[in-house]
Amino acid sequence: MKRIGVFVCHCGHNIGATVNVTEILKELSRYPGVVHCKDYKYMCSEPGQKLIKDSIAGEELEGVVVACCTPSLHEETFRRIADSAGINRYLLEIANIREQCSWVHTDPEKATSKAATLIKTIVEKTKLNDSLEPMRIPVKTKALVIGGGVAGLQASLDIANSGYEVVLVEQNPSIGGHMAQLSETFPTLDCSQCILTPRMVEVGQHDNIDLRTYSEVEEISGYAGNFKVKIRGKPRSVDLEKCTGCGDCWNLCPVMNKPEIRVMQSVSDSMDPDMRSNLDAVIDRNGCAREDIIGILQGVTDEYNWLPRDAICYVAERLEIPVSYVYRIASFFTQFSLEPRGKHIIKVCLGTACFVRGAPRILSQIQSDLGIAPGETTEDGLFTLETVNCLGACALGPLMVVDEDYHGRLKFTRVMSALDSYK
Amino acid sequence: MAKLANIGDFEKLMETVKAGRESSARSVTVCCGTGCVASGAHDVIAKFQEELKTRKIDAEISSKATGCHGFCERGPLVVVFPDRIFYQRVSAEDVPEIVDETLVKDKVIERLLYSDPVSDEKITHEPDVQFYKRQQRIIFGSNGMIDPTDMDDYIGLDGYAALAKVLSDHSSDDVLDVIERSGLRGRGGAGFPTSRKWRITGAQEATPKYVICNADEGDPGAFQDRSLCEGNPHSILEGMAIGAYAIGASEAYIYVRAEYPLACKHLEIAINQAEDRGLLGDNILGTNFSLKIHIKKGAGAFVCGEESALIASIEGKPGEPIPRPPYPAEKGLWGRPTNINNVKTWASVPYIINRGADWFAGIGTEKSKGTMIFSLVGKVNNTGLVEVPMGMTLKELVEEIGGGIPGGKKLKAVQTGGPSGGCIPSELMTIPIDYEELAKVGSMMGSGGCVVMDEDTCMVDVARYFLSFTVAESCGKCTPCREGNGRLLDILVRICGGDGKEGDIELLKELAGAITDGSLCALGKTAPNPVLTTIEYFRDEYEAHIKDKCCPAKVCKSLITYSIVADNCTGCLACLKACPAGAVSGEKKQVHVIDQAKCTKCGACYEVCKFEAVSVE
Repeated sequence: MKRIGVFVCHCGHNIGATVNVTEILKELSRYPGVVHCKDYKYMCSEPGQKLIKDSIAGEELEGVVVACCTPSLHEETFRRIADSAGINRYLLEIANIREQCSWVHTDPEKATSKAATLIKTIVEKTKLNDSLEPMRIPVKTKALVIGGGVAGLQASLDIANSGYEVVLVEQNPSIGGHMAQLSETFPTLDCSQCILTPRMVEVGQHDNIDLRTYSEVEEISGYAGNFKVKIRGKPRSVDLEKCTGCGDCWNLCPVMNKPEIRVMQSVSDSMDPDMRSNLDAVIDRNGCAREDIIGILQGVTDEYNWLPRDAICYVAERLEIPVSYVYRIASFFTQFSLEPRGKHIIKVCLGTACFVRGAPRILSQIQSDLGIAPGETTEDGLFTLETVNCLGACALGPLMVVDEDYHGRLKFTRVMSALDSYK
Repeated sequence: MAKLANIGDFEKLMETVKAGRESSARSVTVCCGTGCVASGAHDVIAKFQEELKTRKIDAEISSKATGCHGFCERGPLVVVFPDRIFYQRVSAEDVPEIVDETLVKDKVIERLLYSDPVSDEKITHEPDVQFYKRQQRIIFGSNGMIDPTDMDDYIGLDGYAALAKVLSDHSSDDVLDVIERSGLRGRGGAGFPTSRKWRITGAQEATPKYVICNADEGDPGAFQDRSLCEGNPHSILEGMAIGAYAIGASEAYIYVRAEYPLACKHLEIAINQAEDRGLLGDNILGTNFSLKIHIKKGAGAFVCGEESALIASIEGKPGEPIPRPPYPAEKGLWGRPTNINNVKTWASVPYIINRGADWFAGIGTEKSKGTMIFSLVGKVNNTGLVEVPMGMTLKELVEEIGGGIPGGKKLKAVQTGGPSGGCIPSELMTIPIDYEELAKVGSMMGSGGCVVMDEDTCMVDVARYFLSFTVAESCGKCTPCREGNGRLLDILVRICGGDGKEGDIELLKELAGAITDGSLCALGKTAPNPVLTTIEYFRDEYEAHIKDKCCPAKVCKSLITYSIVADNCTGCLACLKACPAGAVSGEKKQVHVIDQAKCTKCGACYEVCKFEAVSVE
């Protein structure tokens, strides 16, 4: 087995304050394959580096794990140490216990145990590492961009303007994509043509861009730096040199082979047919105008206890209003829930009258017994806990309503037995 | 049901209905308002119907489920007519006895009578109960006699007579004059003169015009609008019809909270009945006046009680207020002139028309006329809905009608006006109920919420409570309201948590001023009121929290500790069993100990101890 050395950095308080380094050393020194364990305040400092270098030589280490910050900071630093200590630099690995552990956790016990696991994982990796030698291979500095929408156009231009060749492949006869179908853009209401057309022209004219419209990528092989791509140009039977793009041939062609304008897919195609007929009934009952939206969403809530995503999209479709508008209404009013709710809804009244009569204590009792906060649902899906501002039954306070049943003049000692009957 | 073709037909119908209802007939009513239903009133009325049927006396003795009587604290309530024998906290098991003894043998059952908390005297008749005695029940008076789903019950009590009167010989100006002379002011809170609002809307040239009833009763601790919608829906419809006639509107909306399912149901039934009879709909009573009333259900947003937010919500938009002017009277629903009034305002109108402007103007104070319905709740013996003439003092309201504070505790403050109102301290209880007087002490009439607080209520905690309400309900449009109130709440949470700092009170006041100045609608403008009034009247409590780190009312968890008084502890294990945190230890018949490290300060031990052996400091 490889002789592995583990070096744990405190990074001052960055790691040391959360992760118990002494504990880590104790645990790792017992780990199979680990023959040497050391910690240091700042492993990246001169003395820290020296510590690693000396240990590699003195302990005849065949693999090194440095537990410290992210590899993007000091991997190179430590691999240079490996070079100078005479072992292959790829036999040194970093275990990130700062960004991925100490900085993001507060519980020292759990953080320590996580750090130990991270280090052990890297120790196992290091055991499998081979000595590697860097080599040079030629690379083609040429890019492929797939899709001639506005993003593809901009990407092609950025790369081409940096001096590299670009091949831009677009499956339709024309570039422009969805943006060519829009009138204005959010949020500035700029005219979309004004943004798009200059880029389309620039791509067409650019010396570094090889534009392949009406073409599709068929095959990609090779590896980073040396990809091979097969592009199939679809037959146009048109002399591109002479074509002006006037479109007369499309209109005259008896076989309607026009480019397809894709429309957004309707949710009604994919949704549950029962839900669809339920929603149709709710909408027909309430009316189909924008002003009827609140009544419709109340109807959907009556049906499902919450507002499923499909239902929201379908309502938007039927009312011919944006989905975002339905969400705006659904998230404004407290009656609507975007999360599934439990079989039984517990509403605890926190109106002033109930408040002065001890409602907060009733609420905290339910919270601690069911283990859910207001707005949450128990894991078994039985109860959803909600608070309301006033149920208008102030004489009965403190009060909770489960589904339709009023439980008035509540004592916190009786709350849970009242809920038992719903289990 | 045949449509009434003209006013003569209606008058004939009213005569027939009245003749069929002898006032001396024996009948029993069960209050089926939400409060009583929650206490089991449905079982009681079902049992009555069953018992009367099995004894085959259901033809002579009628039983009826009525709207809210107001005295929710003692529900379910049963009243036996014609003597108005008053039974309280009745359960279905009591029903056979009531039928046998009271209905058949005319004997009063002592144990079901109400006993006065002060004199301990048993009261037999409903009007003699102190709670009702000091009230002047006009708008609310018929609730206990009407089955809200039976239109004839309302007509039998002069219902729709005011509408018939207006349609037969009043011009719209005549109606406006009557309302102006009556001095009726908006019951929604701000107290704007009703006739002036109607005149402005009526004078607009744009058509169509709309009338809206605001039944989006969002104030926590107020439920009078709900009770009216549930108990006497026709009075609201009649008032709206008269208003629409005066203004020149032919379409109306009632915006009611979806949290009030019974109110929605009763309003719907009432609209259908009135349309069937020709009292709503096209060509009402054969005249040229038509009115279509729609119901719109709110979806749970407090801010929708504000008129421009309410209108937005009817139009299917998020309920966010818009700057005024233009006021809805000029540009309201769909950009047309719109008149919005509260439920109680509309319900007052038929009574004013029937009994005359002078009668109404004779009740109340110089500037506030008529009666006001309060929901008297919180730490008070007789919780419920009360209707009192304007000008009554808060002291009379709380002590005489409310029957004082339970458990012999001391009154600390009365909070009126909901989250926008203020806390009025016990020293100021002698002020009369009047729009201007309440405003003078920093509170407001609001929609009639009246929450009584005793010495166990921490005023800083109350301010924190109201702020957390407004922060949650702010629609988020105006930064001072959205962010400012959030900061106010942060500071109050800190003070309640024992981390108050010197200068916090001044900071609260400064911030409150900026929020009031910078917010668009009444929600934001009035949100700091509970903070400002509690600082003004209960500054010592704030200072105790900040400087001495103690909560005088022993409410704020971070500032109190529970401990066992060794001398009183009998070692009964009650608190040990009740403690959810396992913080109490001890053996049977040994003095128990509370482990402060484990104690979550839930107060369970304090509540279960029968020997006063748990103390809070």
